[in-house]
Amino acid sequence: MSKFIVIGERLSTTAPAINRAFSGRDPEPILKRAKEQLDAGATYLDVNIGPAENDGPELMKWAVELLQSNFDNVPLALDTSNKAAIEAGISVYNRSKGKPIVNSADAAGRIEYIDLAAANDAIVIALCNGEGIAKDNDERMMYMQTMMERGMEHGMNVEEDMWFDPLFLVIKGMQDKQMQVLEFIKMISDMGMQSTGGLSNNSNGMPKHIRPIMDSAMVAMAMMNGLTSAIVNPCDLRLMETIKSCDIIKNNNLYADSYLEI
Amino acid sequence: MALKGLDIFKLTPKTNCKECGSPTCMAFAMKVAQGAVEISKCPHMSEEALATLSEATAPPMKTIKVGTGEAEYTLGGETVLYRHEKTFVSKTRYAAAISCCDENMDAKLAELKKVDYERIGERMHVEMLYLTYCGNCDAAGYAAFVKKVMEEVPDKTIVLDCTNVEAAKAALDVCKDKKPILDGADASNYEEMSKLATEAGVVLGVRGADINELYDTTAAVEKLGNKNLVLNVGAASIKDAFATTVQIRRAALKDTNRTFGYPSIVNAAALAPGDSRMQAALASLFTVKYGSIVVMEGMSYAQALPLYGLRQNVFTDPQKPMKVEPGIYPLNGGDENSVCLTTVDFALTYFVVSGELERSGVPCNLIISDAGGLSVLTAWAAGKLSSTSVSKFIQENVEDKIKCRKLIIPGKVAVLKGDIEAKLPGWEVIVAPNEAVQLVKFLKDMQANGEI
Amino acid sequence: MPFTGKSGKFNAAIRTVEIGTGDKAVKLGGENVMPLYSFDAPIENAPKIGVLITDLGMENEVAGIKDYYAGASSFAEIAKKAEEMPGADFVVLRFEGADPNGEDRSIEDCVAIAKEVGDAITAPLVIEGCKNVEKDAELFTKVAEALQGKNVLIMSAREENYKAVAAAAGLAYGQKVGAESAVDINLAKQLNVLIGQLGVDPANVVMNVGSAAAGYGFEYVVSTMDRVKAAALSQGDVQLQMPIITPVADEAWNVKEAMASEADMPEWGSQEERGIDMEIETAAAVLASGSNAVILKHPASVATISKLINELV
Repeated sequence: MSKFIVIGERLSTTAPAINRAFSGRDPEPILKRAKEQLDAGATYLDVNIGPAENDGPELMKWAVELLQSNFDNVPLALDTSNKAAIEAGISVYNRSKGKPIVNSADAAGRIEYIDLAAANDAIVIALCNGEGIAKDNDERMMYMQTMMERGMEHGMNVEEDMWFDPLFLVIKGMQDKQMQVLEFIKMISDMGMQSTGGLSNNSNGMPKHIRPIMDSAMVAMAMMNGLTSAIVNPCDLRLMETIKSCDIIKNNNLYADSYLEI
Repeated sequence: MALKGLDIFKLTPKTNCKECGSPTCMAFAMKVAQGAVEISKCPHMSEEALATLSEATAPPMKTIKVGTGEAEYTLGGETVLYRHEKTFVSKTRYAAAISCCDENMDAKLAELKKVDYERIGERMHVEMLYLTYCGNCDAAGYAAFVKKVMEEVPDKTIVLDCTNVEAAKAALDVCKDKKPILDGADASNYEEMSKLATEAGVVLGVRGADINELYDTTAAVEKLGNKNLVLNVGAASIKDAFATTVQIRRAALKDTNRTFGYPSIVNAAALAPGDSRMQAALASLFTVKYGSIVVMEGMSYAQALPLYGLRQNVFTDPQKPMKVEPGIYPLNGGDENSVCLTTVDFALTYFVVSGELERSGVPCNLIISDAGGLSVLTAWAAGKLSSTSVSKFIQENVEDKIKCRKLIIPGKVAVLKGDIEAKLPGWEVIVAPNEAVQLVKFLKDMQANGEI
Repeated sequence: MPFTGKSGKFNAAIRTVEIGTGDKAVKLGGENVMPLYSFDAPIENAPKIGVLITDLGMENEVAGIKDYYAGASSFAEIAKKAEEMPGADFVVLRFEGADPNGEDRSIEDCVAIAKEVGDAITAPLVIEGCKNVEKDAELFTKVAEALQGKNVLIMSAREENYKAVAAAAGLAYGQKVGAESAVDINLAKQLNVLIGQLGVDPANVVMNVGSAAAGYGFEYVVSTMDRVKAAALSQGDVQLQMPIITPVADEAWNVKEAMASEADMPEWGSQEERGIDMEIETAAAVLASGSNAVILKHPASVATISKLINELV
């Protein structure tokens, strides 16, 4: 089995400093935050430029080239609702360290992002969602099937290049749905497919010192159920240590005494 | 092999008609994969899809039985490519090649009988004979040769290396009851050969000029309904033979290609004629990598000793350690007056310790008691190597045979010294070094100091 | 319909490590396929063969080895013969006599022999110690210093002495480091991590993951190597992508099958032939399992294994 893939989430317009850097094309804060995440063990970096309705393509190109030229062609997840921006990003993307990830498609309004990924030989994150949050796993599976068929129609290698996102739900508010999400991850895994998601959503609204603990517990349980990747904050040491330990237990990585340091 | 939900899903109609009772085809596929629902619950599966599924759930590699009685062997049936994943189930078997016109036949047969010994409870000998039809003799002559060999060495499984239909028929008439392999089907004769083999109830060997022809011919033979096969990987070159052997096994186990799901025959004798050292190298290579039968020109002790040891290692069950029989093993001419040493019955420990003791040249008795086939520390931790187990074994099996009352115990269980001495009155217990490699100096020093 | 096999080529590859200098320098590793699977993708650097000589000379060797080295008396002459052995890619000098429990040869003498051998040959040189970790630490440090510029492989840095050995060989004196563990895959990886943490470039590290003669627990060798290659290639584990070198001669010629005299075991036949086949079959098995280089000593074994490699790759 392959190691769990950590997609670093911290290059996002939702962070004011990064938002400013993106709009001002200021490399400094972006490179600093990218480096922190890579040093902490991220494999992919998510590049969330927001809707970027005006300058999306140009901004995404700038960001891709900036990051890849500074960090040995680091693989990236291109995260925006602006399709043209994703295509522009892929046009300058170097895939020597991994295919680009299109973040993200769903089974309703954003289903065409699957076509886009297929046309560009990219990975796509496929949110098991239609309009609004699925009410149960039967419905999630219906969405998954719809997206998978779409991927197959467009010639995608769905086992490797479609990463299904079960949609992690916030515990404060949807505590009773947590096991359902975990069960759905198990279903994705039983189908032989890849999975990912914004895992830390589960701890949204919790006190700051609680979140790493809750996220670690969630990632351990999700990995037990077969989660293969997550979009998280790699600078959360406790979370990363948990992921590395789970990778050892799952025999995804060969144990050595220094496993936490590498 | 278990099918993944995705593989099943791809075969469903994908209409979400719910007639199977599941809300979606995907959910249905998953339940089938988990074994919770029968595939037949779906009324819309095509015949083709059902055939694909039943094929996919069959074992990836056939288990083929050859020979009779003591000389019956099982080939193939493997499920993994690497032994750490799961145990390899069918050992590589070795065959000696003899041609019907071989002038040295008698000498060769006599030579073959010599290499026949036991190693850790297993009989080591050439299990099969690869009887080659020279192409010039008539059919009766080949049959007579096969008969003669069978009489001379009755405890071997016969492999007929013969692409001539007449000769094969004649030979089968004399040996088919011994369930030989008829290694002789190729692109030009497979229909007749397959008929012969099927009628005689024997395994058919298929060959081809290259891997593609081998594949096509095997597929053609399967189409005739014959799935009792072994695949001859050919002798075009060592490189080709290795590539074919590995690719056959990998296609069968990893890519579930059923046409290649059969055991292999590697003819090392033909790959390196007259070069017994290269044949030894090839036998070793193909024992590690996927040869089911390896044919050599003969088998000397020099070739056999490492080869059979290697095979015993590679095919051992990782869950079940190899054990040696408990008992007294005299070394370097040890007798009743020689010092005693004891260790566990784990074969590797026994070999390492006995090897070092032999190197020391000091006459001694190595005493092995039943420790569950575990290493020294593991056995001690599990209570299988204790002062009681050691003293009991010595009282019951050693004291009446050995006069010497000095016992050397493994350094790693030095803690047992006092207890053993208490339980074995009259014995002096000496603690050995921690590592076997230090035994040579340890024993030599004892000898030099007149302690033993 | 012809057979369409899936390729077993991986995205990851074993690192290429070069030892020696000049025309005769050899490259170990570099492949992105399982051992010897040249049908999956070209293997640029075929496995290499090292010829073993020791500081104890030829006294204890079998006739075929003595004959080969006949007339060579100094270490320089012996080394020269070793590099000329048909099929040899490099020379391995083992300081068996340095063992404090044996002849206890002084470090100064060892360094002198290493220099004599190093100066005599143009083929790459590999240095093996005496297995005593304290003595080896000092021996390797001094030898690495004395042979600066020759890009020799110092075998081996072990768990107990890797700091001294790897720092001297890999950092101070620009040599290659052999990381040695005994059929323990977790330790093999850990040692690579530790040596890396000292600052040694992974491109300067070769692994010896342990060996055994055929029949002597060889299943552990097979499984260790299978798992190392699987981790390195299919999991892309950079801490296990170092090429593997395996000393075969030491193990093969030290088991009963190779040592028992013809007087003791008359039915077994020629002792020398037994040793040769033990060496050949063990070498073929470790190459099949993943060694990028083997260390042998008998000319007949070197010839056969060299031919086997040429046929396969």
